[in-house]
Amino acid sequence: MNDLTGISREVSRITLIAHQSLNGKIMEIFAGLGVRTLFAENSRCVRQKVNTSFLGIPGLGMEFSDVATEIFRVTVPVAVADAVLCRLIKELELQIPGRGAVFAQELTEITRMDASEISCEGVDDLRLLKDLSLITGIQSKSGSGANLFRVALKLGVGVPVVSIGIGTGIRDRLGLLRVTISPEKELVYLMVPSHDADGLQRLLIEEGHLDRPGGGFLYQTPIRAGIVDPLIRIGRQEHAASIEQIIAAIDDLKKGTAWRKRFFGMESNYDSSGQPVYTHREIGFLCHEGEGDAFVHAAMQAGAEGATIARLRAIRLAGDKKGHSVPCEYGILCVASPLEQQILAALSEVAARREDSEWVLQSQIACSVFAHKRN
Amino acid sequence: MALPDRIHIPFRVAVSMIWNYARVRIYEQIRSVAFIILYLVAFKIVVLNEPPTNALQVSAGIGMVVLGLAFFLEGLFLGLMPLGERVGLQLPQRCNIAVIMGFGLLLGVSATLAEPAIAALRLAGITVTPWETPLLYRLLEAETDKLVMSIGAGVGFAVAFGMVRFYWGVSIKPFIYFLVPVLLAMTAVFSRDENLCHILNLAWDTGGVTTGPVTVPLVLAMGIGVSRSAGKHEGTASGFGIVALASLFPVIGVLCMGAWLNSSTPRPVPAAEFFSAGNRVNAMKLVKNEKDLEAIAFQRGDEAARRSFYGHQLNYEAALRIVADNEKRSELLGALSLNDWLVRRASKNERAMVALEMSGRPAAQGVAALDSAEVMKNEAKLAFRAVVPLVMLLVFILVVVLRDKPRRTDEVLLGILFALAGMGILTSGIRLGLGPLGDQVGRPLPQVFRSETHEEGRIILEPFDLGSVLTSFSQSGAVSRFFYLQDRKGIPHPVPFDATRFDQKARRYEHIVERPPMFGPELTMIGIALVFVFAFGMGYGSTVAEPALSALGATVEDLTVGTVKKSGVIYTVSLGVGMGLVAGVARILYSIPVVWLLLPSYLIVMILTYFSEDDFAGIAWDSGGVTTGPITVPLVLAMGLGIGGELNVVDGFGIVAMASVFPILTMLIYGIIVQMRQRQLLQAQTEVNGDE
Repeated sequence: MNDLTGISREVSRITLIAHQSLNGKIMEIFAGLGVRTLFAENSRCVRQKVNTSFLGIPGLGMEFSDVATEIFRVTVPVAVADAVLCRLIKELELQIPGRGAVFAQELTEITRMDASEISCEGVDDLRLLKDLSLITGIQSKSGSGANLFRVALKLGVGVPVVSIGIGTGIRDRLGLLRVTISPEKELVYLMVPSHDADGLQRLLIEEGHLDRPGGGFLYQTPIRAGIVDPLIRIGRQEHAASIEQIIAAIDDLKKGTAWRKRFFGMESNYDSSGQPVYTHREIGFLCHEGEGDAFVHAAMQAGAEGATIARLRAIRLAGDKKGHSVPCEYGILCVASPLEQQILAALSEVAARREDSEWVLQSQIACSVFAHKRN
Repeated sequence: MALPDRIHIPFRVAVSMIWNYARVRIYEQIRSVAFIILYLVAFKIVVLNEPPTNALQVSAGIGMVVLGLAFFLEGLFLGLMPLGERVGLQLPQRCNIAVIMGFGLLLGVSATLAEPAIAALRLAGITVTPWETPLLYRLLEAETDKLVMSIGAGVGFAVAFGMVRFYWGVSIKPFIYFLVPVLLAMTAVFSRDENLCHILNLAWDTGGVTTGPVTVPLVLAMGIGVSRSAGKHEGTASGFGIVALASLFPVIGVLCMGAWLNSSTPRPVPAAEFFSAGNRVNAMKLVKNEKDLEAIAFQRGDEAARRSFYGHQLNYEAALRIVADNEKRSELLGALSLNDWLVRRASKNERAMVALEMSGRPAAQGVAALDSAEVMKNEAKLAFRAVVPLVMLLVFILVVVLRDKPRRTDEVLLGILFALAGMGILTSGIRLGLGPLGDQVGRPLPQVFRSETHEEGRIILEPFDLGSVLTSFSQSGAVSRFFYLQDRKGIPHPVPFDATRFDQKARRYEHIVERPPMFGPELTMIGIALVFVFAFGMGYGSTVAEPALSALGATVEDLTVGTVKKSGVIYTVSLGVGMGLVAGVARILYSIPVVWLLLPSYLIVMILTYFSEDDFAGIAWDSGGVTTGPITVPLVLAMGLGIGGELNVVDGFGIVAMASVFPILTMLIYGIIVQMRQRQLLQAQTEVNGDE
């Protein structure tokens, strides 16, 4: 990649999803690790609630319980990724169901910002699950299909983490008529065992009626290592240990999720050697608020269909502006692998024109992309 | 860089897209308005036992309300709020705090000048008299510009301090802990002064009234922008709290203005003394000229006031002749109709004299129906005034000072257009439909708790034939005379004959139609309970439809990524407004001093604030200010005036103040419950582990 625009490097992106009241502690831990900038995004965890509504007070009597969570993203050198994961799990007690989840993904990063000097040692490898996939679903908020997170909960897939984004793409090519289409999207993140990812994704598509126009968009990205939050259901517990606690314990013992496999004979997306076929790329860009449109337009010129832009905050953990945050935009595109280079080039070109602002481009492999195509 | 080719949409597809888009939004508004409409109609039919009148115009007006709401809200989301947020995002990056504060001050003042909230206050004070409450009259009628200035300054300071808060990431709590006790102390002190105690209700009401449907979303969006951009706040839902300050600062402004004017304002005196020639110097401090004083004697005074004003019997009678004159009447009565004047202001003598005078003249024409075209033109003008100057100010700041442009200029322009059209259609619809409907229910409402018969109107029977009068005997043999009168349906009813009302020469008989008490002479408790139920439903229903609340709810849901739902916010706030109206009506019915209601409720609210998270405290306090908008105010005022007028209360104020504090209370409780539920999970899990 062109050195004038930025440095291209292989990194691990740590994604931490945790209860909002842990924010202060999380920032301390990351600052202690030597992280300079932390990207935070508001989100919510949706869980099933078993008990009945409280006096029928409006807004509370729902069968789904939302908990405000925060998604933190930070990139670290590949070498220390596992150690950072273990430190986070230990300090935040993520092994207890209900506190959060954390995982690392490998990707290529292009940026002018300096890499964080992370010092972290002591890998406690036992805790980490190595066979996970991340299903990312992007669905119109006012769409016709059933909510993805509801389906995921119904199927016991995992705890869905939902954040909000704005869709751009075809909508922008409609002229003023675009106001008739709501741009609000829900981004649903699901951590699933990779053996079952395709089967679960197929179930999600069928049960969630995503195979209809405007239903949504789904793809998988591999997870290097991580820990899931198994607390799907909250409410009164009728046994000595909840099913979630048992699953967590067995995952821990077996050091994997393969024992949970429930779909057999569905390895269609795997090649002859048993490896998944990564036909797509998830490209993400981080930039200052208000600059996202230029990136999206460039990517669309280069062949992308559109992008989903989420708002997040870049929190400074070091330097003279310590503790301050800058509003940022995080755009996600999912494109076929052959398009990757030309889109990255187009994005870098836009980025190169931004002399005084920070930006990051990220690219990682993706597979099993599903989108409804109108024929 | 141009986008890939624009997609051409065939006309038919475009129409169906627009139809789907419009349908969803209109359906949403139908649902939000349905409750209040059905409630009013049901109350009218079931309790007041009358069918709604003027149904065609009212239905058309309600249709306009739905359409206007849909347009206005879409305009807010498309144009006004993105514009406000953009300005908010850019301000801290390009300007220092002094400039931001100055801009906030300017915005607050112009928002007050733009939105015609003062009109609503003056309507509430239509019965205020310069002799009973001179200071209140002076602020409302004589020196309105001073009142507007003090409110404007209050809102301006509120926005400026709000900006400071976001810039440095300060919590709203210290502001509340400081401002509320100061306000309560001022209220307590002022309530001991015979003049100042009457402006307390007005002052507390201004807090709720000033923040209108255009200001709230704009200020909210801007606050969120500034808060995000300044980046010194760690919470998720920061950006709230300006509206809350904008409900507190104007109260201080009005109270200070009142205190300043108090020394130069005459003391309250009886009406007769006020209008006497000897008091003319003092009276002229409050009223511009003698002509106005004369009009006030008719519009707001009683017989004693008028006699005192004219001094001489002949002058007095000449004035009454003017009242009887169809053409010259408005000189004295202003907008008041003759019938209203006869029922509300005139004494028995005066009624007789005017009736005598009227006999020779042709009967007065029926009350002119509201001219829809005129109303719409007028409301369009007001909508323009409410939307355009504020938007222009923001656009000016964005384009000229910040050298930036909205993210999607065409969308923002369309949004502003929508907001403008929506505001015009909405307020016309309220004037033509919802307002009259509320009036039809609100004004006769006192009937349900009244325990004595009440004169409803007079019927002149001419020529009257004495031969039609019949005689009846009681058990003890006493003689009484009666005749038959048909009701509207044509069924004859016996009515007593009063010989004194029969004019032998003109062969005229004047029959007084009396309305018996609805629940018998003793059963007023049921009536009062019904009034409370009505007040609650009215507050709840009209708040659910309020556009500013809808905008607040959507913003809260968006910022909390759906953990706090829009519907939850709307219903909780509406519940609070309903409760507030019950308290406000109780205040009027039992004439409870405003201090006794404000003090405890604000104390509870402050305690709850202490236990709330910063973000939710901001949201809750903001919801107190958004509750009074274009839908609530006319409906609530109709009710307040109906009840207040019946009980001869000085003014209809104080209801809005109550409707502002109770939503804060319910929202704080709601927030604390949500917080508890969110933390429950985390704490339960931590306890298992036994640390932290």
